[in-house]
Amino acid sequence: MDCDDCVERLFQFLDTELSGKELASVRSHLEGCDDCDDNFVFEEHFLKRLRECCTSDVAPIELRQRVILKLRGDSPPSTTR
Amino acid sequence: MANDPFETEALTFLDALYRTALRMTRSEADAEDLVQETYIKAFRAREQFTPGTNLKAWLFRILTNTFINTYRRRQTQPEFTELDDVDEFSLYRRMSDLKTSSNSGDPESEFLNGLVDNEVKDALAELPEKFRSVVLLDVEGFSYKEIAEMLDIPIGTVMSRLHRGRKFLQKRLYDLAQERGIAAVRAAPQKG
Repeated sequence: MDCDDCVERLFQFLDTELSGKELASVRSHLEGCDDCDDNFVFEEHFLKRLRECCTSDVAPIELRQRVILKLRGDSPPSTTR
Repeated sequence: MANDPFETEALTFLDALYRTALRMTRSEADAEDLVQETYIKAFRAREQFTPGTNLKAWLFRILTNTFINTYRRRQTQPEFTELDDVDEFSLYRRMSDLKTSSNSGDPESEFLNGLVDNEVKDALAELPEKFRSVVLLDVEGFSYKEIAEMLDIPIGTVMSRLHRGRKFLQKRLYDLAQERGIAAVRAAPQKG
């Protein structure tokens, strides 16, 4: 596997969507190629930051209350309440 | 019924559903409506859910279906772009060029650490919807296969949209960094 083949599989590798021979080939290329390895590490950090930025928001508390009321209003009357 | 296990588990995904809805619709009011509708549909269809399977994925499938059927139709932004111009963009390459040309320490870390939530969210908002949906579902931890099923598109399309979506974000954030902030990037010669 050369650098182009390896970089082509970068996202699949980081998304843990590779398996078998392809995964083994990427791993073995990365072990022997500092540039590709640096590239993968950088992209991995980028995806991590992207995830952090996108998953920090919480829903408004009023929405949670409204959903709960709707759901309980929609279901048969509870005898345990 | 506060002790309904289905309700309790379903509600643990409310934050994730809301933030995804918010980025999909780009409107707080629409996001709230979309989430509420998702829960109502989920509860009406709860018999169809197999306990022990992935409830988060099940709820997200309802969310994306509802979004596509109701809200996507209302989107005014024309969506002809395929973003093929960003395909080859490599932020890593830009960063390593900087390192050799400007001798400016560690531009990669500087860039990543300098990324602010709001800039990333703004860049996401600029991403055309069909790419944005794939990126958002990926961020929530779904596999290519799960995303393909939710959006009813082939896995190959998931992969190419994810690739282009991420490249678009990188290019946009790199441009922003050049415009307003990161020293090492700002000092770099402007490239096309």
